[in-house]
Amino acid sequence: MDFAASLSLVAPEILLSTAGLVLLLVAAWAGDGASRAISIASVAVLAACAFMVAPALCSGAMGPDTVAFSGQFRADAFASFAKLLIYAAGGAALIVAPAFFERVHAMRAEYPVLILFAVLGMGLMVSASDLLTLYIGLELNSLAAYVLAAFLRDDERSAEAGLKYFVLGALASGILLFGMSLTYGFTGTTSFEGIRAALSGTISMGALFGAIFMLAGLSFKIAAVPFHMWTPDVYEGAPTPVTTFFATAPKVAAVALSMRVTLDAFGGQVAAWQQIVIFAALASVIVGALGAIGQTNIKRLLAYSSINNVGFILIGLAAATPQGASAMLVYLAIYIAMSVGGFVAVLMLKDADGAPVEGIAEIAGLSRHRKVLAACLAMVMFSLAGIPPLFGFWGKFVVFQAAVQAGLVPLAAIGIAASVIGAFYYLKVVKVMYFDEPANVAVGKSDWAHQALLAIAALFISPLGYLLTRWLGALADKAAAALFLAA
Amino acid sequence: MTSFFQTLGMTHEWAWFTATIAGILLIALPLMLAVAMIIYVDRKIWAAMALRRGPNVVGPFGLLQSFADGLKVFLQETIIPSAANKVLFLIAPIITFTVALMAWAVIPFNSGAVLADINVGLLYVLAVSSLGVYGVVIAGWASNSKYPFFSAMRAAAQMISYEVSIGFILICVVLWAGSFNLNAIVMAQKDHVWLINGFVANPLLFPLWVMFLISGMAETARAPFDLTEAESELVAGYQTEYSSMAFALYWLGEYANVLLMCALNATLFFGGWLPPLDIPVLYLVPGWLWLFAKIFFFFFIFSWVKATVPRYRYDQLMRLGWKIFLPVSLLFVVLVSGWLMATHHFCDADQTLYPDPDHYGRIVNNGVCP
Amino acid sequence: MIQVLAFYLFATLVIASAVFVIMSRNPVHSVLWLIVAFFNAAGLMVLVGAEFIAMLLVIVYVGAVAVLFLFVVMMLDIDFAELRAGFIRNFPLGIAIALVLVAELVLGIGAERAGALKLGTPDGTAAPLMDRSNIEAIGALLYSRYLFLFESAGIILLVAMIGAIVLTHRERSDTRRQNISKQVKRRPDEATINVKPEVGKGVQL
Repeated sequence: MDFAASLSLVAPEILLSTAGLVLLLVAAWAGDGASRAISIASVAVLAACAFMVAPALCSGAMGPDTVAFSGQFRADAFASFAKLLIYAAGGAALIVAPAFFERVHAMRAEYPVLILFAVLGMGLMVSASDLLTLYIGLELNSLAAYVLAAFLRDDERSAEAGLKYFVLGALASGILLFGMSLTYGFTGTTSFEGIRAALSGTISMGALFGAIFMLAGLSFKIAAVPFHMWTPDVYEGAPTPVTTFFATAPKVAAVALSMRVTLDAFGGQVAAWQQIVIFAALASVIVGALGAIGQTNIKRLLAYSSINNVGFILIGLAAATPQGASAMLVYLAIYIAMSVGGFVAVLMLKDADGAPVEGIAEIAGLSRHRKVLAACLAMVMFSLAGIPPLFGFWGKFVVFQAAVQAGLVPLAAIGIAASVIGAFYYLKVVKVMYFDEPANVAVGKSDWAHQALLAIAALFISPLGYLLTRWLGALADKAAAALFLAA
Repeated sequence: MTSFFQTLGMTHEWAWFTATIAGILLIALPLMLAVAMIIYVDRKIWAAMALRRGPNVVGPFGLLQSFADGLKVFLQETIIPSAANKVLFLIAPIITFTVALMAWAVIPFNSGAVLADINVGLLYVLAVSSLGVYGVVIAGWASNSKYPFFSAMRAAAQMISYEVSIGFILICVVLWAGSFNLNAIVMAQKDHVWLINGFVANPLLFPLWVMFLISGMAETARAPFDLTEAESELVAGYQTEYSSMAFALYWLGEYANVLLMCALNATLFFGGWLPPLDIPVLYLVPGWLWLFAKIFFFFFIFSWVKATVPRYRYDQLMRLGWKIFLPVSLLFVVLVSGWLMATHHFCDADQTLYPDPDHYGRIVNNGVCP
Repeated sequence: MIQVLAFYLFATLVIASAVFVIMSRNPVHSVLWLIVAFFNAAGLMVLVGAEFIAMLLVIVYVGAVAVLFLFVVMMLDIDFAELRAGFIRNFPLGIAIALVLVAELVLGIGAERAGALKLGTPDGTAAPLMDRSNIEAIGALLYSRYLFLFESAGIILLVAMIGAIVLTHRERSDTRRQNISKQVKRRPDEATINVKPEVGKGVQL
């Protein structure tokens, strides 16, 4: 494959990086006053990129035609599916930001640029078919994320979140890199294809260690137990638009990357990693559900909810079948909508001065004065809990179905039991909003962009979402087929 | 020289070892003599520009002044402040002095007359010159005294700042020469533009030479960038607490560094040991004489600047390095490489610079070359 | 013979200085030992024929990273008693990490005994440019096969730079900045005026 063909496969990445560079120059010359315009331009760029990757998904692109740069990059249907979700999440993080930051005079023109570069890094992650691409994409995303977490640099909690994320993230990168070096040392190659070929037969002790260390590093990035400790603090401390971003796009990227590593690179050694994934899935589901119960801050609650949801997604990975992979992708798409809806609703909770409201006690009786907002938030909570008429149920259903089909009945049973525990705290929020004495704190108005975003998310997770199941399922099947063909 | 020692009955390894030691002495001892004389020259030039006589008492025309000074410091007592960190305090001047000598290993004095003809010669020079800052920083810290410490801080920031733009300038030279080996760089300058031996005659590289000369002054902390020893602010900077031989080592190291910078100017931009013009009759003069003449010419420029230009303020120094030299040298990296690509500079010489991206043992013509 | 001697010299010095890095009580000494370790590691690189890596190690780590490191450490006010207390407290953790590293070493030795691997691709067909100098071989790979990753790595550095500026840069309104072009453009008749004040009146500006 020559350079021209390779370059055409990475066209979305080229557009993203060029746009990032150009907008950075605009930001440097025009200053922070232009940040709204730069945000709008960034959203437009993300939309353009989405149009560029969509054809590969619709046609179910797979095989050698999707491989660029001698096997380092793979622009197949699977990557396209993940990229579409990432671009959507990145766009949401861009749309909600200006109103939030402008209130504290902290909107800076670098915010959209950093989001663009983070999205670029995540695009590399989901397209990685080589350990080097994997690591470079991961670092590009992480470095931008550390800065975004500390973006409100005068706010102590934001600075703390940035520092915590950075220190723990660097540690996780180190662990991942260590695992990668072991894998390279025991297989003699960095390409996933080569690793897979080299690991036929019984796996050696060293390669097993490599796989374990790599999974540990990736677990940190997707916030799966036991590497979840940073999540509540970072989600609470980071500015809410950034938290919206963290809870959605990097999660998709890291989960997709984990799928590539486990099902592609270590796809011939399912037995070696399956127990680890099962443990991480169960522990995440249980810790996420139990940890959320005592929370008083709604952002922390949503952080535990994200840990919980990652557990359900990993159940699909434990199945190690195309059905499991397809179920994970469906779940991810629904999860993105629920997370965006949840965090946008949190962003819309403001007091009379426009300051953000985050305490669960402070939204007591929200249904009396902000009826629509309360209804949307309640719907997000019900959906996260997986209550049947809402779309969140469908995600859990396909994942459990895949697990049962793969013979993991006990895993599915425990998962269903844990989701019942999880429903408790989601319902608690609804109870506070609808049945408690009004606290009359969250009375502030929000702008149309938030309302529109929340409306779209709410529509998607409402029972109307079931109209999309056939279409969503077909796309996820194509993506999963591409992943398993590569493997 | 190795074969000469082999004829004396040594094995190849030991002959090589002895030859290398001999080569080091052959470079270091004349260099020390040159430093002693160049200090005298510096003082004479400076005096002449100030309409003074300069040293004129010791020996004919004061020629032996440096040796008298050397004898004087040698006989002085070495004073170590009681609160200083003794070991580091004494190691610091030795580091400065040693590092100043090390870089000379790769400077070619004539065709083939180079101690270490390595293919990363220029990187070696960069590496060694980046070590020079340690002598100053360690001295400043080990003296346990405020002014030396300020000076150490200044030195560290100053040298790192200017190394960046020096790096970019050297990249342009390397791009044009196609090699990091200093001898190859000299040979690439032969008959460069209209019989002139030297990259300086190239309109794209001339501005880089100007920046290199100025950056060199900053890198060696010579006037007008001698902020590390600005006597009006810092007494004598990092040397404040030093006396006797330790002080002399700084003095020697500093001038050896200045001579090295002059030698680099000559080698990278003025054709090194080649004569100025590519005319056969000029090659009758031995190459090392041409090199020495060029070094002396540049030293005169250094002295001249020292005698005439007032010292920069620290913020101006940083502004020049980061806001002017860095972007301009970066721009020139783009211009030079763009020009070389546009003119197919490397095509007839070596097509192997464009290997096949898929099978990297194989060579293809990927369309860059006609 | 000389190579063997040089190898043992460099290797011993690397290990010894690495030990001194963690044994020194004074953090400045630790940094200086670290520099010695880097330097000898570069020497080892030269011995295995990777002169380009050796020079980069010295330029980047010794010439820039360690200088900044030293710069920071020299300005710290460190309470050594407190540091040692932390050492005792974290001792079990250190031992645990050391055990993991020993296990890795054992694994590594085991892998080495199992026979050498063919690097590059599993079948070992793609040999690097063997007859080229270090720099040419690395350049040929970086700018062809790994071009995409090389450029992406550049963007990582750019993001790091943007991050540092976003988190630390502040426009300060109370400083008077020098505007050089304005200074240069100024003419004497704008800067000075000739007045002939009456005695005892003073000058109005």
